[in-house]
Amino acid sequence: MHRPDQGTITIGGRERELASPHDAIAAGIVTIPQELQLVPALSIAENLALGDLPARRLFGAATLVDRARMREDARAQLAAFQFAPDPDLPVRGLGFAEQQIVAIAKALRRNCRVLVLDEPTAALESREIARLFAILARLKAQGTAIVYVSHRLEEIVELADRCTALRDGRVAALACRGEFGTADLIQAMTGRAAAQRAQTRTAPGKVLVEDVGARPDAISLRAGEVIGLAGLLGSGAERVLQRLFGLVREGIVARVGDRARRLKNPSAAIDSGIGMVPRSRRLGLIMNQSVADNILLPSLGRLHRAGLVDRRAGRRLVAELMELLDIRPRRPELKVRALSGGNQQKVILAKWLARRVEVLLLDEPTQGIDIAAKQQIHALLRDFAARGGGVLLASTDLSELTRLCDAVLALRHGRIASRIDRSDGSERIEEERLHAAIVA
Amino acid sequence: MKAAARYRRLNWAGQAPLLTLVILCAVTALLNDRFISPLNLTNILVQSSIMAVIAMGMTFVVIGGGFDLSVGSTVALAGCVAGMAMLKAGIIAGVIAGIAAGILVGLANGLVVAVVGVNPFIATLGSMVLVRGIVFIITGGAPVSGEDGLPSAFVAFGNSRLFGIHYLVWVPALLLVALSVVLHLTPYGRRVYATGGGREAAYLSGIPVAQIVASTYVWCGALAGVAGVMLAARLQSGQPTAGEFYELTAIAAVVLGGASLHGGEGMLYKSIIGVFIMIVLGNSLNLLNVDSYWQRVAIGLVIIAAAAADRLRSRA
Repeated sequence: MHRPDQGTITIGGRERELASPHDAIAAGIVTIPQELQLVPALSIAENLALGDLPARRLFGAATLVDRARMREDARAQLAAFQFAPDPDLPVRGLGFAEQQIVAIAKALRRNCRVLVLDEPTAALESREIARLFAILARLKAQGTAIVYVSHRLEEIVELADRCTALRDGRVAALACRGEFGTADLIQAMTGRAAAQRAQTRTAPGKVLVEDVGARPDAISLRAGEVIGLAGLLGSGAERVLQRLFGLVREGIVARVGDRARRLKNPSAAIDSGIGMVPRSRRLGLIMNQSVADNILLPSLGRLHRAGLVDRRAGRRLVAELMELLDIRPRRPELKVRALSGGNQQKVILAKWLARRVEVLLLDEPTQGIDIAAKQQIHALLRDFAARGGGVLLASTDLSELTRLCDAVLALRHGRIASRIDRSDGSERIEEERLHAAIVA
Repeated sequence: MKAAARYRRLNWAGQAPLLTLVILCAVTALLNDRFISPLNLTNILVQSSIMAVIAMGMTFVVIGGGFDLSVGSTVALAGCVAGMAMLKAGIIAGVIAGIAAGILVGLANGLVVAVVGVNPFIATLGSMVLVRGIVFIITGGAPVSGEDGLPSAFVAFGNSRLFGIHYLVWVPALLLVALSVVLHLTPYGRRVYATGGGREAAYLSGIPVAQIVASTYVWCGALAGVAGVMLAARLQSGQPTAGEFYELTAIAAVVLGGASLHGGEGMLYKSIIGVFIMIVLGNSLNLLNVDSYWQRVAIGLVIIAAAAADRLRSRA
């Protein structure tokens, strides 16, 4: 993808030049990116066989795809992963974890000696992660080398035989298994010791938003609270956020402050002082617009004088927020597309701070972003709550929930199955209790 | 955003359309000295004026992430409606009726695209044919000029000058200033860019995206209406066959001006530069006695080259 500006690449003892992804695949290096390279409309079998479709000849002339053999091959390959779907199902009908298995199986078909995985667990549940790790362990035993890129440091400690920590494009540390723990990695990556979580927790204040009427996933959020939503895929955690942001068709009524409001669309939710950070950054930002334009977008209605946008006030607000959130580089005119994931996420938060919302709904806000930005975002959310805001956070990262939240609601099948509060005086929720509540 | 403006001014990559136009003019002037004669330059300005008005409307739609094929038919409708109303109720009523006809077409396009959700290509292809049919029905296929022609003051507007410059050229010049303020300095304009740049993200930021998209078609229809009235003044009649292929020239000009057909990008003044490129290219090929069949080939190539250059730039 990128040509090396210095240094050489040696494969199997020979120096090689990799001019394109094709060269890399030919050399036995296959990368599984975060966004899987599968064709959603084609079947599992077709996706696996794509590139070398088994052919059979008809009347010695026309070449047809040998569908029967393709199906058999697919079944055999996936059986090795203890995964037995109907090979004729289109890939888009599978969950992300299953699609990932298909992508890995596809990679292994091509004489793969080095498998590169970029953030493979970013969208996985803990059970699926365990299954993935079992697959990786077997591949390793069979002699495939694995390069595993992740921001989830516990995984690195658990999986890796050797580990390289990078900072600003340079190798910051190298270590072998047993020599490093998560704290060492954080220090190597950020250049400073893991920040102590000096968190001010305040007693919850008045109710900011609350469901009206009885429902199995009713929410009540008070000022100063950070409430987590945990659950497996399809548990309804995401649905709760969508409901409160006016993204469900019926448009629910909720009590916001002391008034009942009909949240029929995002515009109504924002007017009630609710902001949302969606799971995909592509939905939170206009990628080809500047940082400044993105930050001011929800506030345009308030930032005008005589019908024109008050550019001076806007510029001041943007500068303040970029400083406060440490958005780098400090160039408001830069297109957000050019920013790193962590900084993009901070721009989304800046949008809502500019609008002075009281309630923040967040869906996986730190997925796939670097550890330093993650810590900054966590500190910011605590600070937001300490100043009287309310935070509702859906996450599959249990350590994030236990560290950040005052209480976590475990959801199952669209119902709140249990509520786990932080015990008095303790720093964090116990992860074991939370885990038990989710999978029970 | 002063720093941003300064940064943009220094960014020459964004000025490719202007550079193309300058080079085109320089080359033509070198090859044929008639190019820089006042008569020829005036001709280019007047020819560009009507297309510039249409292209500005098209720019709104393209920034909003859409597309409008119906502007050519709308030009004819507005011209004929303006002529008919003018003969009955006077110049002012005629001008208002013509522009109103354009707004009506734009509103219909906007509702079908933004509210019903029909693909803009298909929706406006339909209205292009439909509106042309209506023009032929109301005129019976004959030009609208009455017994003694359209009012003389109106005809004069199409041919005379103010401060040495044709009235027809003043119209897009004033509109450019006013509409640039709308697009760049009002909350509405910023919302148009945001909606085109990422409709879903804009919706999640509280922007009423359906209304914004519909409004861009209304602008486009209204400006096509203005262009239709201008053309009627120039042709001294409402012509039912007027404006054919105008939609293609307008879209080509907007793309030449660097707007992205994916939405969210584009500038009014650059679209007008795109119009000049199209008109000057035609003028230059005429002066150089290039066969009219080959002219089409050349113009087609230029459009494809502009779009390809844009793709290659954004990939790099």
